[in-house]
Amino acid sequence: MFMVYEACFRGDPGSHVPNYSAKVHFPLNIKGGLCAAVRGTYLCCMSGWDAYLALLRKEILLEWRQRYALGGILLYVCSMVFVVYVAAVRIQPPVWNVLYWLIMLFASINAVVKSFVQESGNRRLYYYQLADPAMVILAKVTYNTLLLLLIGSLALFTFGVVAGNPVKDVRLFALTMILGSIGFSIAFTFIAAIASGANNSATLMAILSFPVVLPMLLTLVRLSAISLRLMQDTAYWRDVLNLLAIDTILITLTFVLFPYVWRD
Amino acid sequence: MWWKISAVVLLLLVFLFGLLVPLYPGLTHAAPDTVAPGASFVLQIQGYNTFFTRAEAPVRVWLVHEGRHVLASGSVQAVDEVTLEARFEVPATMPVPASSLPLDLVVDDRLHGAMFLPNAVRVQSLSGETVAAADSLWRLAEVRDLHRNEDFRFTHIPINYESIRNLYFHVPMWMVMFVLFLLSMWHSVVHLRTSDAIADARAAGYAEVGLLFGMLGLVTGMLWANYTWGAPWSNDIKQLMTAAALLVYLAYFILRASFDEPEKSARIAAVYNIFAFASLVPLIYIVPRIFSSLHPGGEGNPVFNREDLNVNMRLVFYPAVLGWTLLGLWIARLRIRLSILNEQLMDR
Repeated sequence: MFMVYEACFRGDPGSHVPNYSAKVHFPLNIKGGLCAAVRGTYLCCMSGWDAYLALLRKEILLEWRQRYALGGILLYVCSMVFVVYVAAVRIQPPVWNVLYWLIMLFASINAVVKSFVQESGNRRLYYYQLADPAMVILAKVTYNTLLLLLIGSLALFTFGVVAGNPVKDVRLFALTMILGSIGFSIAFTFIAAIASGANNSATLMAILSFPVVLPMLLTLVRLSAISLRLMQDTAYWRDVLNLLAIDTILITLTFVLFPYVWRD
Repeated sequence: MWWKISAVVLLLLVFLFGLLVPLYPGLTHAAPDTVAPGASFVLQIQGYNTFFTRAEAPVRVWLVHEGRHVLASGSVQAVDEVTLEARFEVPATMPVPASSLPLDLVVDDRLHGAMFLPNAVRVQSLSGETVAAADSLWRLAEVRDLHRNEDFRFTHIPINYESIRNLYFHVPMWMVMFVLFLLSMWHSVVHLRTSDAIADARAAGYAEVGLLFGMLGLVTGMLWANYTWGAPWSNDIKQLMTAAALLVYLAYFILRASFDEPEKSARIAAVYNIFAFASLVPLIYIVPRIFSSLHPGGEGNPVFNREDLNVNMRLVFYPAVLGWTLLGLWIARLRIRLSILNEQLMDR
């Protein structure tokens, strides 16, 4: 552990970006989950893209090792769908649309909130020495996007089983879900990073993120209503563009601001 | 110092002129509001700020459909200062095939200038069937030689009436809020670059006062909506979005308070402040354009689009914006000085 630490540190002391030119190749043979997770990869001294892939792989492997946490979130979605279904027995398409996105919203918050909380201070310090913060956040955003897509599909499937599936325009709905997952993932990951250091991070997560995702949620509900043929709008690409614009703003800010959150 | 004095002077002038200058004369109501084709009837017109008995002849009254088809009145008589009676003969045919035809009312004389009431009267066929179209009888008259009222007065808009004065109080609140949030974000950026504690105190102070102005904007808007929309809260998209924007900044203060170390609190709060300001842009500029709004100038109210702000109103509105902005900056500076002094006291 110390050898790796020192090698990177010596390369460029004082900077949070490790010096990749310091041609030192150390396999990460540290005890503990992380080492096993990135076994065979050289996190130190790698180009940005490789570091990104390694970090993404680490996220997925860590999640796979703690399958009960993933199972917890998926079960959360199922229970929520069931509770919603029992509470409102006959679900008309307009209500279905709103409920689906509410389930997505709450499940996403619960899924993403642990991205930073689960990491201890020591491990954070370790990543801090190894990787560019932009790659760390990008890996987490990508991983959370995939997770939210899984949650969205599961919610669609279970909700479809109990309450029927009113989706008419499948392609538009899929596009909406992808855009929604990306947007939620960016906003919630960044806010999870902000809230992770605070005393009441779960409450903080909700109050910080709800107002921020509100424009996105409204646009998503509108697009999904179009895909359910609840409303006619041939110019829905404007909504898609708006979503893309919001996503771009958020990801840019995340890149610029995340190093400040991370520096501890 | 000079700008504090000018803030006070500007706001005094705004209160004085904004509240005392009368509205232009206008029309509020016409009865009957529905007539049958071929009817001959006396239209009773209610005015506001009018002096019909003092108006010199000719007082001309027209009913207009979409600016093209016009009915001129027969005899016009003033009952009292605010009531005017005009006799009309409605042709038995409609200008376009329709069962129902909305007509705008135009009254014009030299004293009052031209006055306009949209959708004042509706021609409705008794059976509800479509009436044959023949527009020759609807083209005998023409709205022309309208007078202009050149007095220094404010625009008369149906439904809004005197509440239009809220323009000098409600609208500037949002502009001040935006300016203060912008300054707050700027100081957050400065704090992130320099780790200066005073920049953080400035960011917090500007955000606090910006929040205050946002709440005042919401309250003045709700008071106004109570009289014009009939309820203080109508789930109008702009109301929802500003409420969400205020929640963002309330969350900012919760976030500031939930860290133990002051430096970390300042840094994370600065990051969130920049993030919050950026999310304010879609809240305030993108979403209200997608959804229609009840607000004057919004899609829901085509009537309000024409000459909402005349020159006289602009003469009061721009000083109001400037005056409120200066006042907001003044309050924020006091607030910031207080918090910096408090900090120094604590350190001692």
